[in-house]
Amino acid sequence: MSAPVRVTITYCAECGYETQALDVAGALMTEFGTRLAAVEIIPWAEGTFDVRVADELVHSMVRDGGFPHPSDVALSVHDALARNRDA
Amino acid sequence: MGVTRERFEQGMTYDEYKSQMTRNREKFEENERTVVLPPADLDAFRNARPLHVLVLTEDWCGDALANVPTLGRIAREAGNLDLRVFLRDQNEDLTTQFMNGEYRSIPVFAFFDDQFREVGRWIERPAAVTELRKKRRAEVFVSDPRFGSVDAPADQLPDGVRGDLTAALQKMRDEMRPFADGEVVRELKEIVARAA
Repeated sequence: MSAPVRVTITYCAECGYETQALDVAGALMTEFGTRLAAVEIIPWAEGTFDVRVADELVHSMVRDGGFPHPSDVALSVHDALARNRDA
Repeated sequence: MGVTRERFEQGMTYDEYKSQMTRNREKFEENERTVVLPPADLDAFRNARPLHVLVLTEDWCGDALANVPTLGRIAREAGNLDLRVFLRDQNEDLTTQFMNGEYRSIPVFAFFDDQFREVGRWIERPAAVTELRKKRRAEVFVSDPRFGSVDAPADQLPDGVRGDLTAALQKMRDEMRPFADGEVVRELKEIVARAA
């Protein structure tokens, strides 16, 4: 059994990225359930849309451009769970 | 490539764009109402030749929220700028023509004469605003050691500190607004003057 994984989504509330933040959070909650330690959603500013999975920044709007596809974030969660299982 | 009159006329009018906004409309209209347009600047726009202005934007973009209302006010008050608005994410044929290097930055204001020859373009925000914002942002972080590094991700800060940093950055942006608006007006004025 892998230790559950924490996901943090930091989004620009001034820009109105709520929908995209909720889309990612909802997709992960549906797919992973209790394998997630928590999904933290942080309202921020400055055009931010960052997703961190187990302390690894897996998507940054500034670095990568645009929004992440929820399935790409899900792959990162799978990877983090696998690392926890192997540790 | 280029933009034909027919393609241009497929865009939304400025008022149609505002009507279909799904977010930030209140702030957009507040910015439109409160931007300061000195009479001498307005005269410069009024005395320029009539131009068509293609606007690429999205209602979630901060730079668009800051700068499209300025263009909208100028167009309304000057009366000789014909705006048509296109959503960036639904008009790839246009966005690929107005790239900012490798980025699809918005807003884009592309100016055309009556033969639809492009006479100028303006993208995102003035360079002077980017530069000053970077400097002022660094000063905010230096002002309080709890804010940590200017490059540190916001989610790593304790909640209370993040709230204080949000307020400090908002204050910085509010204080910068007259300068930022003034630079936008100055750059747009230069474009229409060059097109004369």
